[in-house]
Amino acid sequence: MARIRSFRHVRGFDVARPTSIGVMLALMMPLVILPMLSIFIVGMRKGFGFFWSSLMAPEAVYALKLSLITSFWATVFNVVFGLLAAYVLSRYDFWGRNAVIVTISLPTAIPTAVAGFALLALWGPQGTLGRFLFPPEGKQLMFTTYAIILANIFVTFPLAFGVIKPVFDTMSRSLEEASATIGATRWQTFWHVTLPSLRGAIVSGALLTFARAVGEFGSTILVSGNLAGMTQTAPLYIYAKYNSGEAGALEAANAIAIVLALLSFVIFSVLFFARDWLELEAQEA
Amino acid sequence: MANKHSTVAIALVVLFLLGIGSCLPKPPSQSGGGGVNITLYGFSIMKESLEKSIYPAFSAKWKSEHGVDVRFTSSFAGSETVTNQILQGVKAQVAILSIERDAQRLKYGNAVTSDWRALPQKGIVNKTPFVILVRKGNPKGIHDFADLAKPGIKLIHPDPESSGGAQWSILAIYGSELIKTEKQSGTADRARALQTLQAIWRNVVSTPSSAREARATFEQGYGDALVTYELEGLLLKDADGAFEIIVPEATIFSEHPIVIVDRNVSPADRPVIEAFVRFLWTDEAQRAFVKNHFRPATNDALTQENKELATIKYPFTVDYFGGWERAYPEVIESVFKHQVQKRK
Repeated sequence: MARIRSFRHVRGFDVARPTSIGVMLALMMPLVILPMLSIFIVGMRKGFGFFWSSLMAPEAVYALKLSLITSFWATVFNVVFGLLAAYVLSRYDFWGRNAVIVTISLPTAIPTAVAGFALLALWGPQGTLGRFLFPPEGKQLMFTTYAIILANIFVTFPLAFGVIKPVFDTMSRSLEEASATIGATRWQTFWHVTLPSLRGAIVSGALLTFARAVGEFGSTILVSGNLAGMTQTAPLYIYAKYNSGEAGALEAANAIAIVLALLSFVIFSVLFFARDWLELEAQEA
Repeated sequence: MANKHSTVAIALVVLFLLGIGSCLPKPPSQSGGGGVNITLYGFSIMKESLEKSIYPAFSAKWKSEHGVDVRFTSSFAGSETVTNQILQGVKAQVAILSIERDAQRLKYGNAVTSDWRALPQKGIVNKTPFVILVRKGNPKGIHDFADLAKPGIKLIHPDPESSGGAQWSILAIYGSELIKTEKQSGTADRARALQTLQAIWRNVVSTPSSAREARATFEQGYGDALVTYELEGLLLKDADGAFEIIVPEATIFSEHPIVIVDRNVSPADRPVIEAFVRFLWTDEAQRAFVKNHFRPATNDALTQENKELATIKYPFTVDYFGGWERAYPEVIESVFKHQVQKRK
């Protein structure tokens, strides 16, 4: 294998390092980096003034806010549920436990359009339950902000759980037992011992859920009714703009897309830098 | 204690998020308080003429007559998509559809109980002929529907499953062949019309879900030709001169009905909704449609006001097939779905 070694080191210079970094970047360029860049180029091609006014259009502002708020509530719910489910499933063994774990993870594999239709088929005016609870002539649950939150909860259901559960699984029980022997109640133990060591998992689970929910399209377009300025989230607004015949619609659509891209960038940067910090804190505590 | 710091930081973040979360945004359409709101669902290409001309004109008229603000919230998608949304319970009060069959579907679904045919012009608010859009300079030499069957042509055609325009387009191609063979030999040649349709569909490379999406696809540079509403072609040409409109010798005029979705109209809202619907046949509204490249439904003379509208040599309507009641089962289903789609 002398030849390989000679490839790896040329006069003490490590060839493998720049080569592998180069290959990685060369693969990322056409697949991820350049497409993202194109959004910025198109979004900015009519100048910053146009970009800003597209962003400040009342319906665009509303769509962005609606996305943030519906994602926020879906995140709150899914993190709380993820904590509960992770706790229950790692502490107790019961009949059907594995079936529950599989069921929680299912929404990752279900096409989002199917998720949207599933909600309609249950809660819609002709749905199995909706028929009785929300008849066509009365108030609806579907086609409202709540329907968007429900859709977001459905599609991001497993994310927070998936991050939190492994931490529960590997957490040493001795600390909890110690706190119990000092006479702490279950609740105190949870609050002062269990929760602090979960901090990193909770934050990253929440950010992942939030990032995924903000970009949700497939289920939202079915359950929201897609009314501009009422139930139109940012991704739906972008889609409507792509299909709009106005001059400058593409640039306006990409202006909103830029905001969403930047938001994801911020979220994942926080995720990357804050996780280390939170883990460190947890160890110090 | 680093622990305290982080707890405080996290508490602040949570509070901040709760701050964002607790204030639901105010819909821009309702920021005025008071007044009435009309919810309209329309098929994809109605968007510009309604939002730019019709809504403001009607709001101004109603305000001056009754002193009440009228606001509109609307959503646009393929005609079949819109119809399905309303059948599933979306709270539309008015719907403008591409094909009368969708109005009939809303009637069978009990969403619509009033008779749109009792409205002026049998409920048709505007019309537009079907044309072919090609790249600048017409590099593929397309002069009529039959040329779309030539081998090597890449055609963009909306999806008949979700788009009303796609169904008009099928009727346009099929009817155009029937009429031209009739002109030549005295009898309409169904076999030849079917062959042409089959050959054209072998060239279809993309079926977007609405006429508007099909246009967006074509605009992005995919395909050699697009069959669409004349106004789509004109809008695209106005926005960007890199296209040419090919006007077929014989083509169909699509006719777009409006329906009041009675299920979602309260007695209190009915007067303003009926006034809005009837407003669409006033000269003011019809002129606005013509300015936006539609053809008028009331008075053909208004067509003169838009110089860009083409003259069609042999125009026909869905009546040529005996109305939508017959055109849908006989052409869209038995010709297209059974003999064209299945053979692809």
